[in-house]
Amino acid sequence: MVLPVLALCLAAAPPAASAFPFPATVTKLPNGLTVARVPASSPGLAAYYSVVRTGSRNEVEAGLTGFAHFFEHVMFKGTKAWPEGSRGNLLGSLGFSENAYTSDDVTVYHVSGPTSSLEKLIELEADRFLNLDFSEETFQTEAKAVLGEYHKNAASPGLKIEETLNAAAFAKHTYRHTTLGFYEDIKAMPTRYAYSKEFFKRWYTPDNVIVFVVGDFDDAKVMEWMQKYYGPWKGTAAKVVIPQESAVKGKDVKLEWDKPTLPRAYQAWITPAASLTAKDAAVAEVLGEYLVGETSPTFKSLVLEQQLVEHLGADSSPHRDPALFTLAATLKAEKDRDAVNAALTAAVKELQAGKVDAARVEAIRSHSRYALLMGLETPDQIADHLAYMAGVLGSPQAAATFQQQLSQVEPKDLVAYAKKHLTAARRNTLAFSAGAAK
Amino acid sequence: MIALALVLAATADAGLKPGLAAHAPEPVAARAFAATTPLQLLTLPSKTPIVSIRLVFKAGSVDDPKGKEGLTALTTRLILEGGTEKLTGAQLREALFPMAGQIGGDTDKDLTAFAGRVHQEKLDAFLALFSDVLLHPRFDPKELERLRDSALNTVQVRLRQENDEELGKVSLDALLYAGHPYRHAVVGTAQGLKAITLDDVKAQAAKLFSQDRAVLGIAGPVDEALSAKVVAAFQGLPAKGAPVTELPKASGIHGQSVIVQRDTLSTAGSFGFTWNLRRGDPDFFAVALALSYLGEHRQQHGVLFDELREKRGLNYGTYSYPEHFRQEGGSMLPMVNSLRRQQDMTVWLRPVEPQNGAFATRGATYFVNALLTQPMPKDRFETARGFLIGATRLREQKDQRRLGQAIDDLLSGTPGFYEQFRAALEKLTPEQVQAAAKKVLSIDRLNYVFVTKDADALKAAITSAGPNPISYPSPKPKDVLDLDPALASQPLPITSVTVLPASGVMEQ
Repeated sequence: MVLPVLALCLAAAPPAASAFPFPATVTKLPNGLTVARVPASSPGLAAYYSVVRTGSRNEVEAGLTGFAHFFEHVMFKGTKAWPEGSRGNLLGSLGFSENAYTSDDVTVYHVSGPTSSLEKLIELEADRFLNLDFSEETFQTEAKAVLGEYHKNAASPGLKIEETLNAAAFAKHTYRHTTLGFYEDIKAMPTRYAYSKEFFKRWYTPDNVIVFVVGDFDDAKVMEWMQKYYGPWKGTAAKVVIPQESAVKGKDVKLEWDKPTLPRAYQAWITPAASLTAKDAAVAEVLGEYLVGETSPTFKSLVLEQQLVEHLGADSSPHRDPALFTLAATLKAEKDRDAVNAALTAAVKELQAGKVDAARVEAIRSHSRYALLMGLETPDQIADHLAYMAGVLGSPQAAATFQQQLSQVEPKDLVAYAKKHLTAARRNTLAFSAGAAK
Repeated sequence: MIALALVLAATADAGLKPGLAAHAPEPVAARAFAATTPLQLLTLPSKTPIVSIRLVFKAGSVDDPKGKEGLTALTTRLILEGGTEKLTGAQLREALFPMAGQIGGDTDKDLTAFAGRVHQEKLDAFLALFSDVLLHPRFDPKELERLRDSALNTVQVRLRQENDEELGKVSLDALLYAGHPYRHAVVGTAQGLKAITLDDVKAQAAKLFSQDRAVLGIAGPVDEALSAKVVAAFQGLPAKGAPVTELPKASGIHGQSVIVQRDTLSTAGSFGFTWNLRRGDPDFFAVALALSYLGEHRQQHGVLFDELREKRGLNYGTYSYPEHFRQEGGSMLPMVNSLRRQQDMTVWLRPVEPQNGAFATRGATYFVNALLTQPMPKDRFETARGFLIGATRLREQKDQRRLGQAIDDLLSGTPGFYEQFRAALEKLTPEQVQAAAKKVLSIDRLNYVFVTKDADALKAAITSAGPNPISYPSPKPKDVLDLDPALASQPLPITSVTVLPASGVMEQ
C-alpha cells in the first residue's frame, strides 16, 4: 500500500509552500523511500533526480575517505539484469542524458529526457539502487578514473586550497577532507572492493533516498511505477557517529603553490548547520552577499576602486553539520594581502558594531526572490535546486522552507550572527601565495 | 617568448618515421554567414514571466587587429561591466541587483552575443539599463585597466598554469589555424592585450556593434507591443559598421604535433583537423551521428568513453565533435552562438597518467579509424541515434538557448536545424553514416596536441614505430587484453613534433 503523506506533515517544517513557485506532492512508500513530484511546463520532458543523503561527511573511517564520490562512479557499473554498459546504452537510445555529483552531504543522480520512456527510466534507476552488481576488476578500473579526476582537479590550486583550509578548521569532523578524499586514500581505492559492498549496504537504502520527478508526467502512473519497481527495496541506513568539533578556535595557515598563480586570501569560520527550524543558513547566505557581494562597499573598494582584488566572493552553502562560512579574495599582488585582509575584517567588525545598511538587506532579499524565479526555467533546474536542499535538510520541502527563511532575514539577524559566529577567535585564515613570478 | 606559428614553421623534425600520409595539405575555405537585414528580429513567445533578449553581432576575435589580439573580447567586457554614460559600473550593478536583472555576453571567433533576462514586472527599468549599456557605454579607463588585468591573468595564469585541458584546446586552435585570424584565443594574447588603448576599444565598438551586423531575438511573454518596445530600445545602435571580416582559407595541415610542456601530474590531449563540413551539407547529420557514436560529449555510450575509460580506466572520458565545441558553463550542452565560418573535427582526450599517454593516443586513433573500417554494431548505433533525438530536445528548453539556436539557424541557413536533425536521424542507417564519415574523415588528417611534463618521453613514444604497451594495475577481461596490442601498435600519422613551454602559449 502506498501511503500518501501531506507535505506539511512530513517534518516539523513551518508552512512554506508559498515561498517556492513549484509545490511538490510527496509520498513516502512503505519501505521509507520518499517520492516528490513537481509538475512543470515542459511538454514531453521530465527530470528525475535521486538524492542519497550520504556524502563525504559520512566517511568516518580512516583510510576510506573519498568513498561517497567513488561510489557515485560505481553506481554506473550495472546490475545482473543490466550489465555494465547496457544500462547506459539503453538510456541513451531512449534519449536520456544523465550524470551525477557528490558533495559533502549528498550524492545526487540525475537524468533528463522524454516522459514517454519514464517507466523504463524508473525501472532502470530502481534496478541499480536495488541490485547493483560489479566485479572487483570493474571496481579497480574505475578507481583509476577517479585518480584521473583528482589529477585533473589538482592542475589548479583550488583543490589544495580546500584541503588546507579544511584541515585548519576541522580537527575531528569529516568535513576535514574534501569530497574527493585524501590523495593517499584515492590511490589505495583499488584495494577496497570489500568495503565498497559494505558502503552500498550501509547507505543505499530506501529511507536514505529522496526521488524527485519534475516536469511533464502523469502523477498516478509515476506512483504506480515507483511502487512497482522500488517497492521490493528493503533496508535501513546505518548510523555512524560523525565526530563533532570540541573546540572552534581558529588557526592561521599558509600555503605556497609551486607554480605561478595569483595569491589569495581566505577568512573562514565554522558556522551553524542548516535547519528546517532555524534560519542560520539563510542568514549566512544573505550575509555573504552583504559582506562581499557585487553591490557591497567592500567589493566596490577592493575590486572596482582600488583594484587590489580580481575576484571576491563568499561560500555559505547550507550543510548538515556546522561548516565553513568563507570569504575569499583573489589578489592581484602579494603586497596587498594585509590591506585586503584588513578590509574584510573591517566589514565584519562594522556589522558586529551594529552598523547595518537595511536598504541593502532589502535589496538582497528582493534579489533572492527574482533570482529564484529566473533560475527555475527547466525541470532540471527545478529538480537540482529541490534535490540539494532536500538532501541537506532531509525534507522534500526543504527548498521552500529555505526560501521562506531567506525572506525573513532581518538586518538585526546579520548583526547577531556576525557577533556570535564571526569572531576573531573563531576565524581561520589561509594565506595562499604564488610560486615564481608569472 | 615564442609564437607558436613561428616555431611550427621552423622545427619540422628530421628523422621521424614516415607518417601515414604523404599528400600535401588541402586548404579549407570559410563559408560565409547568411545575409541578414539590419537588426533583424526573431521572436519566440513562451509561457514564462521571464523576458529574454539576445543581440548577436557578426563580430568576434577575427576582428582583432594584428598586434591587438583580444580587442573584441575586451571591448565586449568593458561594455558589459564598465557602466554607462549615466551610471558607473558600480551604479549599474546596484540598479540591476534588486530585480536580479541579468546582462551578460560572450565573444567567440565570429560572433558576439549580448544576453539580457528579467522578470516582466521589471522590463521597463531593465530595458532602459540594457539599451544604455549597449548604446552609451562609459568607456571608463580605470575599468579598462581592471578588465585588461583580468584578461591577462586568464592568459598568463589560468590558461597556462591551471587548466591543462583548455591549454590543449587553445594550442590545437593555434596549430590548426596558424597564420589565420582563428589562431589566437578569443581572450587574446599577452602582448596583444597589453597594446590595447581606450581609443582602440571605442573604435572597435563603433566598428562592430552596429545594426547591419546585428540580429535581435526576444523570447518569453512576447507580443507586438513588447517587441516594438525592445526594438525601439536598440534602434539607437549605429546603422552601419565596418564590413564583416573576410576569412582566408585555413591551411588544412595534418600530421603535426605540439607538446606543451608544464609541470603537471598528467597528460592531456586535443586532436583534430580543419574540414569543409558545415551545417546544411547533405552529409552533416550523418557525420554528426557518427561522431556522437564515437564519442558523445560527456556521455557514457560513446565508443571512446567505453573503450578508454570504462574498460581500461585510462581517464575521465574521451569525446569527439563534428563542429568546434564549447561547453555552456557547467552544463553538458554546446554553447549557442559559437557558430563558426571555419570548422574543425576534434577529439578531446581528457588527462591520462603520463606513462599511458602514448597508448591512449594510439587507442583513440585506433577507434577513430575503426569508425571507418569496422561495422558499426546495431545496438550502439541505435543508442547514439536515440540519444541525439532526445538530447536535441533538451538543448531547446531555455529561452536564451532557443533564441541563440534560432539565430544560429538563421546565420547558417538551416532553419529548424534540430527538427531537421531529428527527422534525418530517424532515417539514417549505419551504412549511410559510415559512408558519410569516410568521405570527410581519415586519421591521416589528424594533428595532435598534448600538455604534459616529460615532453621528451612523450615525443619519443608517439614518434616511435610502437608498440606502446600498457600494464594494468588490475586484471582485465580477455577481450580487452586481446585488443590491446592493436591499440598499442596503431600507427600515428605524426610527421613533425614541436615542444613548447606553457609560458609561451598565447604570448603574442
